[in-house]
Amino acid sequence: MRDTLQMINQMQSDGIIGKYAIGGAVGATFYLEPSATLDVDIFVTLPTVSRSSLLNLAPIYDYLKARDCKVQGEHIVIGSWPVQFLPASNALEEDALASATPTEVEGVPTFVMGAEFLIAIALRTGRPKDHNRILQFLDQNVADLGRLKDLLKRHALESKWEQFQRRFRGQEQ
Amino acid sequence: MSKQETRKQLASLSFSEKIKLLEKLRDRSLAIARAGLRKNMAGTTQKDK
Repeated sequence: MRDTLQMINQMQSDGIIGKYAIGGAVGATFYLEPSATLDVDIFVTLPTVSRSSLLNLAPIYDYLKARDCKVQGEHIVIGSWPVQFLPASNALEEDALASATPTEVEGVPTFVMGAEFLIAIALRTGRPKDHNRILQFLDQNVADLGRLKDLLKRHALESKWEQFQRRFRGQEQ
Repeated sequence: MSKQETRKQLASLSFSEKIKLLEKLRDRSLAIARAGLRKNMAGTTQKDK
């Protein structure tokens, strides 16, 4: 992971990406016990392209391929990790990047999404593994529920949260 | 130690330590997948014979 993060930090220094933060299962591992995953989700802002072409990942891929990184489906392998770059595509993800927590891995500085943002994004994504992760966060009591509720309200996710609570926690809001 | 205590203990490790565990879990999953694939391929070859 050290090599992976060093390369991503270099991409940021070189202006290929703007802010970035680790999300998904690896991001959740910052707060929870480790659980098996095969890839790293890196949410990014792309500062050099117009808003209309936000989903254009070509500059990232060109930069990395020139440095011997191999493309594997929707991932690009950096160091020993397949990485999926996810451009922030909505206000929730942009807020998550803006408020990401600075940390480090083996001495390499990096950023991880806040626990409440990881929960809100998992709720919006809504796959079984996302629901499972939310339950882990709730069971281990690592999120600030007041902050989470504010976030869910701000991003119109309250009804989805109520459905989740009813389905998985047997609670009426 | 209970499962809950083990989970808490793992959650309290540093991010670097957790990443090392993630890498071990990932490598194990990949090894299992590769072994399964080899087994399936061997099975197919034997069947084909």
